[in-house]
Amino acid sequence: MQNPYIPYPVIVDKIITEVDTKDIKTFRFKFVNPEDEQKYAYIPGQFGELSIYGKGESPIGIASSPTQKGYVEFTVQKAGVVTSALHEMEEGTMMGLRGPLGNSWPLEFLEGKNIVIVGGGFAFTTLRSLINYMIFGDNRKRFGNITVIYGARNPGLLLYKDELIEWQKRDDLNINVTVDKGDATWKGREGFVPAVCKEVAPSKENAVAVICGPPVMIRFTLPVFFELGFTKENIISSLEMRMKCGIGKCGRCNVGSKYVCKDGPVFSLAELDKLTPEY
Amino acid sequence: MEKRLIKKDALAGIAKKMAGDLLVWAPVKKEDNVLFEPMGKDGEPFFAYLNSKNAPKNVFFPHTEAMMKFTRTPKGMVFSSEENKSDLSVLFGVRPCDAHSFALLDKLFDQEKYKDAYYITKRQNTTVIAIACVKPPYATCFCTSVDGAPVASEGADILLTDIGGDYLVELITPKGEKLAKYFGDAKADAAADTRKNEIAAKASEAIKSKIPAHEVKPILDKNFDNPFWNTIHGKCLACGTCTYMCPTCHCFDISDEVKGSDGVRIRSWDSCMFPMFTKETSGHNPRSSQKERWRQRTMHKFKYYVDMFNAIACVGCGRCVMSCPVNIDIRKVVEDISKL
Repeated sequence: MQNPYIPYPVIVDKIITEVDTKDIKTFRFKFVNPEDEQKYAYIPGQFGELSIYGKGESPIGIASSPTQKGYVEFTVQKAGVVTSALHEMEEGTMMGLRGPLGNSWPLEFLEGKNIVIVGGGFAFTTLRSLINYMIFGDNRKRFGNITVIYGARNPGLLLYKDELIEWQKRDDLNINVTVDKGDATWKGREGFVPAVCKEVAPSKENAVAVICGPPVMIRFTLPVFFELGFTKENIISSLEMRMKCGIGKCGRCNVGSKYVCKDGPVFSLAELDKLTPEY
Repeated sequence: MEKRLIKKDALAGIAKKMAGDLLVWAPVKKEDNVLFEPMGKDGEPFFAYLNSKNAPKNVFFPHTEAMMKFTRTPKGMVFSSEENKSDLSVLFGVRPCDAHSFALLDKLFDQEKYKDAYYITKRQNTTVIAIACVKPPYATCFCTSVDGAPVASEGADILLTDIGGDYLVELITPKGEKLAKYFGDAKADAAADTRKNEIAAKASEAIKSKIPAHEVKPILDKNFDNPFWNTIHGKCLACGTCTYMCPTCHCFDISDEVKGSDGVRIRSWDSCMFPMFTKETSGHNPRSSQKERWRQRTMHKFKYYVDMFNAIACVGCGRCVMSCPVNIDIRKVVEDISKL
C-alpha cells in the first residue's frame, strides 16, 4: 500500500527571490530519486505539501508547468512556521514533497476555448503554470485566444518578471500587466485589475475566465465579467484553506460536503454557489 | 455463517487464551471506568459493563501516533523511516455501536483514491469481537435511531450474544472464522437463533431514546443560514470532549517533534470545536466562532457524511451527551432541527 503521507525526497535546486520585499521566493526542487518525477506527474492547478522535517508541512500551489521537465517549482510567501523555515533554506538542502494533490484547472473544458486569465498579486502562481502549459509547443493550438490580465500593487511585487517580458514578445498572447501604482522606472499600465478587465473587455464568446487573486480583487472583478456576459459556469477560481493531510481526511478544509484539498481547490463559480459560504 | 455456542462463564478464559497468542484489547476496570487496553497474559478482562468510558477508536486511530521519523544530516533533516507497524490483534468485547463506528470510519480512511496506511494496517491486522447489548441500556443510548441496534454485527468480525446460559458465537467474516478454534466445537442450533432474535427484538425495544436523525438531512440541506445555529453554542466551552469521546470523530493534526538530531512526525486527535482548528496563517478563520464550529460538527454528522458516504456519522452511543460539561445534548439539537 502506497502511504500518501510519506513525502518524496527533493533537493532545493534553485531559489529565486521574486519581489523587492524579498518575502516571496520561487523554490525549484529536483527529485532525489529520478523515478519520483514520473510519480509526481501533475496538472496545472494542483498543489503539493512542502514538507520540512522538524517544522511541518505547508500546502502550496505548483507554479511550474508539467511541460518543464526535470524539476518542479513553488512560489512561496514567507508567512508561518514552515514557509519561514523554507525561506531560510539554502540551495542544496534536502527536504520533502508530497502530492500532487487536489483537482486541477479543467484542461479538457478549457480546450478549444478562448481563455482569459486574471491574476492579482501573489495568487498568480498556478495561473503561471497554466499559461506556460498552454503556450508550450503544440499545446498552443489546443486553445483559442489567450488574454492575461495580471496586476500587483507596485512593479516590485510582480512575480516572474523575466517571463512576463518573454510572454509580451509573443504574438499569440495578449498580455496586460498592471500595477496599482507605478514608480519612476515603470512604463507599463497603471490601474486596478477590475478596471483593466473592463478596459480590455474580453469577449464572452466561447470564452472561460480563470480568476485568482486576493478577495478584494475577486469581489470587484466578478461584476465586470458578469457585465461582459460570462456565465458562472465559465468563471473558474481556486480556493485556499488551512490544510494538513491534503487527502480529505483530517477534517479542516471542508466547505460543506466538499474538501478543498481533494475535491478542489479549483471550482467554477457555479460550483462555488452550491457550496456553503464558509471559506 | 459458522455459529457456535459457548458457556457464559467461558468468556474470560477465551479472552485470556487469545491473549497468550495475540495482542488482545479487552475491557479492563480502571478505577471507576471501563477502558479498552492491551490485556497482557495475566490481565483480567471485565465484561460486566454497559459500555466503555472511551470509544475504542484509538485501537485503529490512536490519540497520538508516529507517522515517520527523520534525522539531521549536513544536507538538512531527512526522512529516515516510516512508522507503521501493528501486531495481529483482537479487539475483544466492543459494543455493537462502537463496532458500527469502525464501518463508518472505513468509509473515510479506506477510500479508493487515498488510503490511510496507518488506519488500514491496524484495521486489517485486528479482528473485532462485538458483544451484543442485552442488558437494560443507558438512558442516553439511541443506536436504533442511527442505523444501529443493540444486537448487531456491522463492523464486527464476530458477534457474541448472551442467550441465557450460553453465548451464541457468530463468526461473521473470514477474519472472524480464523479465530474459530478459540470457541470450542459446540455448534449452535436453530433454537439458539430463534432465542437470539427474540432477545434482539426486546433489546431494541428497550432503547427508549429516539432522535429523528434521518429526517433532519433535507432540513440541514436548506438551513445553513438559519438563526437556529445561534442557539446551541452559547454555553459551549470549546473543550472538545464531545469529539474526543465520539467513536466516529476523526479529525487530526500532524506535527513534528525534534529532540537533538532526531525527530518524529506525529498525528494526534484534533477537534473541530477548537478555534485554531481552521485558523489560517493570515489570521482569517472560515469558522470564526463557536457557532460555526457547532454547525460544522452537526452538519458533518447528519448531512456532510450522508452526502459523501450515504451514512450518518453517529452511532448513538451517547458518550457526548454523558460527557459534555455543560450538558449540550446532540439529541436535543437534532430534535430541534427536525422542527425547523
